[in-house]
Amino acid sequence: MVVLGNGFPKPLEVEVPKELEGWEEMYPPHYIFSEERKEWEERQFWYLDKIHAPDPMYPFDLIFHEAWQIALSQYNTRVFCIPPAQGVAQRILGCYFYICAVEPPSEETIKKKAELFQKRAFWVFQNYKSEKLYEKWEKKFRELGEYVKNIEVPDLPTFEPEERVIPEPRGYYSSYDLMEAYDKLIDAIFKAWQYHFQYLNLSYLAYLTFADVVRKLFPGISESTIGKMVAGADVVMFRPQEELAKLARLAISLGGRVVEILKSDKSPEEKIEELKIFPEGREWLRAFDEAKDPWFYVSCGSGWFHYEGSWINTLEVPFSYLKSYIEMLEKGETIERDIDEIHKAREKLVEEYRKLIKTDEDRKAFDEAYKIVRDIYDYAENHLFWVEHWFHTIVFEKMREFGKLFVRYGMLNEVDDIFLFNRFEIPMIIEDLVTAWALGENVPPRAEYWKRKAQKRKKILEAARNWTPPPALGTVPEEVTEPFTVMLWGITSEKVSEWIKGVTYRPEEVTEIKGFASSSGVVEGKARVIRFLDEIDQVQEGEILVCPNTNPSWAPVFTKIKAAVTDIGGLTSHAAIVCREYGIPAVTGTGIATQVIKTGDIIRVDGDKGVVTIVKRAEE
Amino acid sequence: MKYVKWFDEISKEDVGIAGGKGANLGEMVKAGFPIPPGFVITINAFEEFLEGAKERGKKAQIARIISEVDVKNTEELEKVSALAREIVESTPIPEKIEEEIREAYRKLCEIVGEEVAVAVRSSATAEDVPDASFAGQQETYLWIKGEDEVVKHVLKCWSSLYTPRAIAYRATKGFDHYEVSIAVVVQKMVNSRSSGVMFTLNPTNGDESQIVIESAWGLGEAIVSGEVTPDRFVVDKVTKEILDRTISPKLVWCVYKDGKVVHEEVPEDLREKPSLSDEEIVYLAEIGKKIEEHYSHPMDIEWAIDKDFDFPKNVFILQARPETVWSQKKKEPVIGKKSGFDLLMERALTPFKIPK
Repeated sequence: MVVLGNGFPKPLEVEVPKELEGWEEMYPPHYIFSEERKEWEERQFWYLDKIHAPDPMYPFDLIFHEAWQIALSQYNTRVFCIPPAQGVAQRILGCYFYICAVEPPSEETIKKKAELFQKRAFWVFQNYKSEKLYEKWEKKFRELGEYVKNIEVPDLPTFEPEERVIPEPRGYYSSYDLMEAYDKLIDAIFKAWQYHFQYLNLSYLAYLTFADVVRKLFPGISESTIGKMVAGADVVMFRPQEELAKLARLAISLGGRVVEILKSDKSPEEKIEELKIFPEGREWLRAFDEAKDPWFYVSCGSGWFHYEGSWINTLEVPFSYLKSYIEMLEKGETIERDIDEIHKAREKLVEEYRKLIKTDEDRKAFDEAYKIVRDIYDYAENHLFWVEHWFHTIVFEKMREFGKLFVRYGMLNEVDDIFLFNRFEIPMIIEDLVTAWALGENVPPRAEYWKRKAQKRKKILEAARNWTPPPALGTVPEEVTEPFTVMLWGITSEKVSEWIKGVTYRPEEVTEIKGFASSSGVVEGKARVIRFLDEIDQVQEGEILVCPNTNPSWAPVFTKIKAAVTDIGGLTSHAAIVCREYGIPAVTGTGIATQVIKTGDIIRVDGDKGVVTIVKRAEE
Repeated sequence: MKYVKWFDEISKEDVGIAGGKGANLGEMVKAGFPIPPGFVITINAFEEFLEGAKERGKKAQIARIISEVDVKNTEELEKVSALAREIVESTPIPEKIEEEIREAYRKLCEIVGEEVAVAVRSSATAEDVPDASFAGQQETYLWIKGEDEVVKHVLKCWSSLYTPRAIAYRATKGFDHYEVSIAVVVQKMVNSRSSGVMFTLNPTNGDESQIVIESAWGLGEAIVSGEVTPDRFVVDKVTKEILDRTISPKLVWCVYKDGKVVHEEVPEDLREKPSLSDEEIVYLAEIGKKIEEHYSHPMDIEWAIDKDFDFPKNVFILQARPETVWSQKKKEPVIGKKSGFDLLMERALTPFKIPK
């Protein structure tokens, strides 16, 4: 590998293993590093986006990224016009997903943007509560989700039904309906992602503003304390977990038989069948069905990938949590978060710091910055559930309806093979299929072509899994002007030097890794490395969870572990928030924890310093 | 008892009978802070000892002698001091006073469960007051064991009211030699594994959201004398997070051995180790915060960890004084007059420097 002076290779100089040959054709051409954009691409700093793509990218799953590249960037550059911030660009290299915060614009543009920003962004901050901007957003977003749910994926009938022809011919038929259904779905995805950023850039900016003020007043204050002051307790993200807690309590109040069934080792389907046959069981099932939509539309992973599954189609996950909740209740343990307590604790925390401010002027500045972030921050906390979990679950389900159709007509072997094609290719498959249908009896589509492609792509993705791409490419910047880069991906110079370490060191030689001090405390214990949620039942009481990142569907595991370490995520990442609530240490955004740490290693997690030390390696 | 008061019978209002240090200790015990157990031999005892029935007028007599001395004349000052101290130390202690002291010491031994080593300290009436710090003006005797020794050192403390320094100090400050009086504090010695000081603000920059603890192995003498660079821990006063820890190589410690305090090299394996555990740091900070709240003032606190006890019973507070350097500074705004929108604009315009 070619290593530059600053430690990272140039994009075009990275050698992709030859087993990955043909990877480029899986993705849109503008996603590939290229000679004609070389000069610009080498000047930027590209890093692996492990939050959104820890694994090789499935061609269809890229669609959400295509959508956010446009949406996030346009809010910075064209809508609210955050003066020195440009967009976040994306590339794919050997099936891995890289992103970069684009270098700042010219001074002149910054000046122009400043004027627009002042007018537009301030309006949002001023009116966010009074105009009920969040409520309006949620309403509109949920309508969009319902719209997608209701898109009908039509079958191709042997003959069009009578009523479409007589008395007045409809004029367009199932071939068009199928093409239109797909287009509607794609359009809705892009729209949803434009909505996703409606207030997100501004809420992150408000957070950073408040954090600045607090750090000036209390120079040594830890990042996690700032996070605690801002974090909301009644955020939507916690609802799935709360619904499970309620269902567990209901089961106990309904008595022995419901509890017994839910605690048994039977499959969720068997449990549901058994519950149907007696009144208490049916009562519980009614509550279960009511909670399901929207609250079980929560991904078993990050929400970004079709293969992660969602609670509603992976019922083992919520049922296993139910089982452990019921057992905890029987032992007299509490399973709900005491929201009042959390509120009070936060208010007390803020009040104590406020009291320590020495002048009225400073106190006023603190109050104003705090009010702005508190008003808008529910957006940052809540949008995640609605977009990445609820909406993506709906999208993947809808895509599978197309997949089923393809399998039925022999275009593909398996339903999920549809995700091996990018969003521009699927209309070709649809067109191939409806053309054959339109042509009449015994006309073959080019099905073998698509199936061969699917097979080949599976092999490429498999090979890509065995390749470790460089953590970053291009030129390390001196400063970052893009709020997401700091807030969400947690890009800091320390982080970058950790990545350089990742390039130049072998994982087994690393004994100490750094990340964000996201939740305070120091503990030592056995590491459990978990890459996917379906491995979560391996976690034993008192172990330290080491994972790429977490999300709401991981929540119940936090009652078991004594610390958490993640590859990705800053101080407001899910793992950080939950660990602070449970009072266990967390180091997030280490970049390399899951590569360096092995299950069984004894590690020390210092959540005050943001350091993870490997105390003793597990015996091989 | 007439001449002896246990710490829990005294409050900060009792400077007049227990002296500054004694009143302070009593106040802290009352407030629930972990103070090594002990008692105060009140000012009444001293007064009755020098002014009582048999020895009438001795205090006045001494005051007369020393008020005539020119304190700038060192030779003369020392002579007068020696004379005054001789008068005090040769005066027999009234039986009822001595018996009360002995009885209190025996009771302390009973509480601790062995013949206890104590510190015997003088506690003058004007001591530890923020505007007239008498701190260190009077004598302290450490590691005193046995009834007879205690009585002997009480007498020495009494006479320490007339050391050349004390006399000179009162003369320059304009205190009346007759008005000033002295109490004696007798307190269990902490068998210090570690000890140090704690400030309820950051003494480097005055940040009142932080508590700074300095700590070294052994007795506090090593830190006070500057022989050792202590470990330094910065704790967030609100959240009790340990924000920063600097572990210094600690080459020397003071320990109590064979009846005296000796300076020794710290064993190799302890030098680089933190002299406080995390739970001790946090516990100390919690106590520090409570002491500050109790006095409504940033404080400067001496503490020690006793090796004879387990956490948290091993944590003791020895002394607490109001902090004077930063607390008297004028407070300047850091952010200044800026609206929330000014701040947002400022943030939006500034490139996000990669932190640290």
